[in-house]
Amino acid sequence: MAIITKEKTTARAAPLSDKSLIGWLRLNLFNSVFNTILTVVTVYIIYITVEGLLVWGVIDAVWIADTRRACFAISLDGACWAGVVSWLDNIFYGRYPREELWRINLGGLLLVIWMAPLWLPRVKAKVTIGLTTVFLYPFLAGYLFAGGDKGLFMQIMISGAILCLVGNTLHAFIGVFTGKGLPEFLIALLGKKAAPEKSQRNILLGILAVCFAVVYMLQMGASFETVSWTKWGGLFLTLVISGIGIASALPGGIILALGRRSKLPIIRVLSTAFIELFRSVPLITVLFMATTMFPLFMPEGFVLNKLTQVIIAVCLFNACYMAETVRAGLQAIPQGQYEGAHTIGLGYWGTMGFIIMPQALKHMIPNIVGSFIGLLKDTTLVSIIGLFDILGMLRSISRDAPWLGLHKEPLVFGAMLFFLICFAMSKYSRRLEVKLSTDHKH
Amino acid sequence: MKFTTLLTSVAALAVMAVAGTTTASAADSTLEIVKKRGHLRCQVGPPSPGYYNLDAKGDWYGLDVQTCRAVAAAIFGDPNKLEIQSISSQLRFTSLANGESDLLSRTATWTMSRDTQLGLDFLQPNFYDGQGFTVHKDSGITSALELKGAKVCVTSGTTTELNLGDYSRANNLNISAVTFEDFNVRDETYLNGGCDAVTGDKSSMAGNLAAFPVPSDHIILPETLSKEPLAPAVRHGDSQWRDIVSWSVYAMINAEELGVTSKNVEDLRANSDDVNIRRMLGVEGNLHEGLGLSKDWAFSIIKHIGNYGENYEAFMGNGEQGIGIPRKGTTNALWTQGGLMYSPPMR
Repeated sequence: MAIITKEKTTARAAPLSDKSLIGWLRLNLFNSVFNTILTVVTVYIIYITVEGLLVWGVIDAVWIADTRRACFAISLDGACWAGVVSWLDNIFYGRYPREELWRINLGGLLLVIWMAPLWLPRVKAKVTIGLTTVFLYPFLAGYLFAGGDKGLFMQIMISGAILCLVGNTLHAFIGVFTGKGLPEFLIALLGKKAAPEKSQRNILLGILAVCFAVVYMLQMGASFETVSWTKWGGLFLTLVISGIGIASALPGGIILALGRRSKLPIIRVLSTAFIELFRSVPLITVLFMATTMFPLFMPEGFVLNKLTQVIIAVCLFNACYMAETVRAGLQAIPQGQYEGAHTIGLGYWGTMGFIIMPQALKHMIPNIVGSFIGLLKDTTLVSIIGLFDILGMLRSISRDAPWLGLHKEPLVFGAMLFFLICFAMSKYSRRLEVKLSTDHKH
Repeated sequence: MKFTTLLTSVAALAVMAVAGTTTASAADSTLEIVKKRGHLRCQVGPPSPGYYNLDAKGDWYGLDVQTCRAVAAAIFGDPNKLEIQSISSQLRFTSLANGESDLLSRTATWTMSRDTQLGLDFLQPNFYDGQGFTVHKDSGITSALELKGAKVCVTSGTTTELNLGDYSRANNLNISAVTFEDFNVRDETYLNGGCDAVTGDKSSMAGNLAAFPVPSDHIILPETLSKEPLAPAVRHGDSQWRDIVSWSVYAMINAEELGVTSKNVEDLRANSDDVNIRRMLGVEGNLHEGLGLSKDWAFSIIKHIGNYGENYEAFMGNGEQGIGIPRKGTTNALWTQGGLMYSPPMR
């Protein structure tokens, strides 16, 4: 028996939860006595926290004053941001000479220009651009920050870096407008498209050599005043240490992870020993070892500055952690992939480079970025061995005579700064994951 | 046969080379090393009010920093030929021992065990400190002996904590210590009523008290629990270097006693008849020779750094960067005014 109505049922209103805020609230927050109590209590807790923070940090706060005492004179209970404001240069740049700050800013700007093509559509050879950022930019930036005399090696690396930067940028512009790469474009410009591949390559190498010579000549004239590493500090130093750590951790980690899975016993044992040694010791111990024990082992007169020691320690430490992350990623790749690669005739490096690593790295992105964020935060440990990184600077404010005892505000400021940086990193990693995910949508 | 000879000669050469380098480096005195390097490496600690701090421009200032600057001025005639190293207290003596620092000028208490067992020599103290208590004024406490059963806030890991325990036991006070890593948190807890009193070096207490929201609500009790002579230190075994650092400090104390200041020093060098001043400033005699420095070593200290009193006023007293610790009648006054600041005669 079927019931068939000829009349249409009258359209009903949308459920309360979809229609109005009140409906949504009732459905989600107040749908039972217990939930109602929970909601009320939670809202109250949020209210007192936010209200307290707001009153302390904004409403009662003092923004302009010369000393902490002057802050107290205006408001006894509010935050005294004036101290943080007057120390901003220290917090961002450390003790770097104030008239040379443009060098740090320029270094940062160059990095942005260098990396920008990575985000632009239609630009080719992004991997090459990424690699040059890791291998050439540090020389340019290093000289920009430290200054002093350039040795022959530095001169060559700096020229290479400048050339590469210019090339990169041109390449990016050409890529955006024409969809071509720089070499392709140059050949077309010279009208040699028809020429054989070998002579095309010779032409390009010729252009490269001429440009290199020109840049080399130009850079010989320029030189910067030396700024001792002891003057580096603040957020700048934190970013330098963690930047180098991040840039070297991934290559180092991949090598160590492959070493640990190697079939050659010596390489496997050495890699495993190295990884386990560094992983079983806290970072602070590694830092102490690097700065106090290391000079004792060295011949007298051999002095490696403390910053270099710290950077090396951070790099080794993080490479070991990264190695385990990479190994985890490698283990997730099914055996069939290796076998498939062998079937089409790829050797070890071909298998790893074209088949295994690209898949494994994609799986590892959340873990890799997690380690990077950890690394960034771990670098604050260097303040314990006497480098004035951002945490060291923030803590020093409370010792400066005009701001004696001002310790909460700087730390709150530091927390917000770290949150911004780390949150941006984790957001970017999410985007990267989505962009790279080709299959297995969960 | 031939191979063995070759091996032996190579080994002999290597031993000679190593021996050669060791004797060469041992022959270099600290003064020579510093002069060759072109600047002094002076170790201070993480910023500590009054002694060594960073200002908003990123420059170091403070009483101990002035000692560093004085030694640099004595050697180079320029107080800025100086690298200040800020090193945590766990590493301070290691850094001096392994040659990373030439001189330790930080709030290290001169104790017998440190002086005799750590391979270093403590010199003339530039500040005599002692541990004391701060309490809320409205608690009505006027003596440390009234702190029976009190909760006292203290920073951990220093002699301060040990002294508190000793004092409590000796006087049957039954004090319970509440320990903190950071003195800011210690003070915050005290201000919020977490402790009845704070204990610490009296100098830093005075500085911190000045930074409390209402300083007049608190008082420092008169008792002093411990002796804390804070002195610069150098590596054991280099007497010339030791002399240079000691006499740089003495020169500042002596200058105050003789009334020589950074302002009048040039005038006095040119016109003074006082033989003590003339000797100190290198117009007469040859005091500089024993130190291996130039004739005007003390002159440049006083010209660039000033005498002890000027520096005390600027960084410990009521100067713009000072932390407001009174000097009159304390151990840090000159010996002529009842204090302990005493320099052997410069002649």
